[in-house]
Amino acid sequence: MAKKRKQSEISSKSRKTVEPEILKATRISDEPVVKKVKWTNKNRVLIFSSRGISFRDRHLMKDFRQMMPHSKAETKMDRKDKLLIVNEISEMKNCQKCIFFEAKKKKDLYMWVANTPRGPSAKFLVENVHTMMELKMTGNCLKGSRPLLSFDKEFDMFAHWALLKELFIQVFSTPQYHPKSQPFIDHVFNFSIADDKIWFRNYQIVEENAELAEIGPRLVLNPIRIFQGSFGGPTLYQNPSYVSPNEKRAMMKRAKGNKYINKIHVKKAQEEKRLEKRYNGDPTDDVFKTH
Amino acid sequence: MESESDAESLSSDEELQIALQRGLLKPGLNLEVKPPKNSINDREGLKQALNELHNGLSWIERMDVTVDPMPPPGPLMDQLGEKPDDLSGDAVHDDFKREMKFHRQAQAAVLEGIPKLHTLGIHTKRPEDYFAEMAKSDDHMKKIREKLLAKELAMERSEKAKKMRELRKYGKKVQQEVLQKRQKEKREMAEAIKKYRKGGKQDKLDFLEDRPQRKQENVHKQVFQPGRKRELKNKKYGFGGQKKRSKYNTRESASDMSDFSVRKHSMTPARLKKTKPGNKNKRPGKMRRMKNKNKKH
Repeated sequence: MAKKRKQSEISSKSRKTVEPEILKATRISDEPVVKKVKWTNKNRVLIFSSRGISFRDRHLMKDFRQMMPHSKAETKMDRKDKLLIVNEISEMKNCQKCIFFEAKKKKDLYMWVANTPRGPSAKFLVENVHTMMELKMTGNCLKGSRPLLSFDKEFDMFAHWALLKELFIQVFSTPQYHPKSQPFIDHVFNFSIADDKIWFRNYQIVEENAELAEIGPRLVLNPIRIFQGSFGGPTLYQNPSYVSPNEKRAMMKRAKGNKYINKIHVKKAQEEKRLEKRYNGDPTDDVFKTH
Repeated sequence: MESESDAESLSSDEELQIALQRGLLKPGLNLEVKPPKNSINDREGLKQALNELHNGLSWIERMDVTVDPMPPPGPLMDQLGEKPDDLSGDAVHDDFKREMKFHRQAQAAVLEGIPKLHTLGIHTKRPEDYFAEMAKSDDHMKKIREKLLAKELAMERSEKAKKMRELRKYGKKVQQEVLQKRQKEKREMAEAIKKYRKGGKQDKLDFLEDRPQRKQENVHKQVFQPGRKRELKNKKYGFGGQKKRSKYNTRESASDMSDFSVRKHSMTPARLKKTKPGNKNKRPGKMRRMKNKNKKH
């Protein structure tokens, strides 16, 4: 039989293990505040537009704001203001990136994507817009979930595409542990290049064996220029195949005008031909005509 | 100068003819392609900007994948043509091909990205009891579902109509055949009777022995049912019964005085005006007012 331990000995031992750490009564005022360390990437994106934006484009902007929990909103900017003001606005809003929708003539939409204080920035023409509100896209995802960004291999082939890819990654990727984000990954932003344009699609990951459903929005970005600075500075790249919508409309008008002129020409030519035609009579009939 | 320009134009004409022969040019409207404007492509500058832009964050903060599209599944191979990934030229305007390419690219991205996230120990799937606000509201999703259902229904209906149309065509053919067959039988019977009459009494009239029973199916006459469109039209415009004399006056309609107002017709227009509903709260006349005053005191 083992020797019994004294009661007092046992209690003192167990008490030692349970004993909590004693907090200090006061805290030194210089001591730094303990932060939540998880959310470190404080990247924010300012998304706003100029005045005169159409309803569809406004909905598109709304969709982007909804899909990007790290975005911030601003009131519409006056058309008279210089574009460089955007830099100041985003600084005031604590944003390092900016997506600015510039509407012109109430029908053309341009999109600026910029790394605000220092550049670079890129200007696109936005074409073929379909918003999330449309009924033909059946997918759905969590409101703030972080997207997987999918890029075409062609993005690595040229310098300007590579730069745009990096810019898009930094703008569209939601920081990890962002307080407004969700901890699950259930959608993909798809960027592809076709016809020298960037095609944007958003798919829901229904199953992880790559079953997808499209959520929307859809849009095509036709690059115009890439600038070294943000909203200005020297041009690094200019798209040679870009035709502005104004020019396109003018061409259409001209083609319509040419249609009328062509018709007149054809009529004239026909009349001239008709004059040449003669009935075959006797050529000697005119011989004795004196007048 | 002129000779030079002539030579130039000649040479360009020859070039055009050669191009036409080779099949590079097609007949029709050919637009002259302008040389590109002073296009800028500063590769060094772009590379430098890219280097400056890099912020050295880990992959988990970026979650980007650069992939080629997956090969298309077998049944779609012949629909997509030989080069399913090639979107140059007119292929961009082929909606199905283009969207399939994007879809396949996203699929490839999922197949590469999700395992990568799993190796980093990050959960990607949402548990079923985790509810949170979605990008599209429930109302919106309901609308989408309704639209899909409506579309499916319309497709079904049109398919049914198509089938009915074909059946009708087939039925006509069958009926013609039946008629021809009947006529043939009749002719044969007439011939047999002729033969019998002529005197070949030994050959029997076999149709007298085994008379074909009338088919039971034909006894039930098909009840005619109008189509859906006809039914709707009948509902809208009415169906059946005579419409010819329905608007004539009858004794009852002529003696119907229900909408005749005696009051309206017995008064002069001036008095009628006075008794307008708007005049109800008018101040009474002086005499009446005086009388009222006296009553009160």
